[in-house]
Amino acid sequence: MDKGYIENGFIVDVSNANKTSEIIYELSRILDLPDAQSKKVCLKLGNADLSTTELTSIKALVESMNSEIEFITTGSNVTAKSAEEMEIEVSVLENKVPTPEFDADREKINKELEKALDKIFGDDNSEIKTFAQEKELKEYKEEVKSDKVDKSVTDSNIGEISKEQQIDTDNSPLTTHFSLNETNNSQNLDDFNSELSDANKIEGEDIKEIDFNLDDLRKSLRETEKLPTLYIQRTLRSGQSISSDGNMVIIGDVNPGSEIIAKGDITVWGILGGIAHAGSDGNKYARIRALKMNAIQLRIADVFARRPDSINIPYIQKTDTFVPEEACIRKKQIVISKIHEV
Amino acid sequence: MSGRVIVITSGKGGVGKTTTNANIGTALARMGKKVVMIDTDLGLRNLDLLLGLENRIVYTIVDVVEERCKLKQALVKDKKNPNLCLLAAAQTRDKSAVTQEQLKEICEKLQKDYDFILVDCSAGIEQGFQNAVAGASEAIVVTTPEMSAVRDADRIIGLLEAKEEIKSYKLLLNRVRPNLIKSNDMMSVEDVVEILSAELIGIIPEDTGIITSTNKGEPIVNDEKSLAGQAYNNVARRIIGEDVPFLNLEEPQGVMAKVKKFFSGLIGKEK
Repeated sequence: MDKGYIENGFIVDVSNANKTSEIIYELSRILDLPDAQSKKVCLKLGNADLSTTELTSIKALVESMNSEIEFITTGSNVTAKSAEEMEIEVSVLENKVPTPEFDADREKINKELEKALDKIFGDDNSEIKTFAQEKELKEYKEEVKSDKVDKSVTDSNIGEISKEQQIDTDNSPLTTHFSLNETNNSQNLDDFNSELSDANKIEGEDIKEIDFNLDDLRKSLRETEKLPTLYIQRTLRSGQSISSDGNMVIIGDVNPGSEIIAKGDITVWGILGGIAHAGSDGNKYARIRALKMNAIQLRIADVFARRPDSINIPYIQKTDTFVPEEACIRKKQIVISKIHEV
Repeated sequence: MSGRVIVITSGKGGVGKTTTNANIGTALARMGKKVVMIDTDLGLRNLDLLLGLENRIVYTIVDVVEERCKLKQALVKDKKNPNLCLLAAAQTRDKSAVTQEQLKEICEKLQKDYDFILVDCSAGIEQGFQNAVAGASEAIVVTTPEMSAVRDADRIIGLLEAKEEIKSYKLLLNRVRPNLIKSNDMMSVEDVVEILSAELIGIIPEDTGIITSTNKGEPIVNDEKSLAGQAYNNVARRIIGEDVPFLNLEEPQGVMAKVKKFFSGLIGKEK
């Protein structure tokens, strides 16, 4: 029996909810809508086994909202029995509503994520290494190239999955980062890098050598994920200062003269024109990302970089093009690289 | 060595205190003097922009006062001139972050190592002004030939005279437009000096080059051709005690006028 339409009423589908508390929450949410007041309700329940007392409380809730239960459909015989006892019209669905397999999916996704992370940040079998010198990088690149050719010849029969894997390895953040450093000839980056050593002297202290340690990186990434995130949806103007014990996401611009300080990562969905300090408690793996990196100063942990004088124009430069960029520490300097489309 | 502490103030906003500070400081440094500029305009700092040093500021005067860094660490060296330093104001704080005593102490410390300490004052006569004046012994009052600016300068001079620490004050007339003075549309230099009855230290002509130099972050005194730059240079020379005549601002403008002047010069020589 399927009543698609009831006169002066509507169907409330709570078949996804398996507990009384969930059903009550969903019901109260729906019945609270202004359109739902003083109407008849057809309750579509799932596989939940409800006792008479539970059904009574649901009925009481519906009645407290000036509505009335017209009839119930359910996948459970127990619920049907208790409804009959309470003299509510009820119908049992022959085809039981399948229980959603969210948990299984999530586990699958988690496993894949884990795999991908391991691939990127290197377990023992990982192909990706740290590069002490440009030479090594070049050699590595050639290796990858030759590998790729081999794979495409030998694995051509395997099909789509292996292809995807190849794509994955191509786009893993580390390789893109390093290749970018080499290929990016833009004036900005060069200027920035050339002035960096100079800029570091301003602090008046020697900055400690930072070893690029994959284990540490992986650990810190996980830790950063756990930090609370401050979410700001406005433009920060000159003189405004925001600091956070966790990560920071800003939807808006960060104008020159303002500063943002976070113990974790900083992400600016807009133009970053002020001062940004990520990893303020010494996390050298913290990152700063922005749609348009125009910062006067960038600070990560205890490393410092300033905008090159050649593009140091005090008024805000208007831009039509946004190139998302990311700043992080490499070899005790702050390096900015483009965030590639993955 | 005991340096001179000069506060540059005006009362009214927008008359060119900060521009004057940046240019006089740069001019003095070009003459080989050791100069430090202090921006006391907390929360509305601009001096760093005019000098193009915004990207180098790590510590500010508030960090010094709250002892997060040493005074020397907070001094930002100029890009071109190693004689020139800037002690920047904090942008994210307000005027109450620094007290008069603290500023006085900073000035006294800097006096040992520098010939000139130029203090950039904020507009108004409230705490910002009181702070800036606290450590100074000399003052330059900047004004423009407008009634409102002259009135405010008068008020400021009154306040300066009441301060025992201020030994002398000089008047600097900014944004003068000789053409308008000629056509009686602007107060003349003599009028302003008569109203304020103060010693004049410089007359700076209105110059569109100031706008571009501000946007570039480079003081106009570095531009030898600019009339305003020359005028600022002369002010600096007067500060160190040289006797320099005031610039003749009423030079004819425009191409035809220049041609006329050129020929009249030739004729003059033949005679």
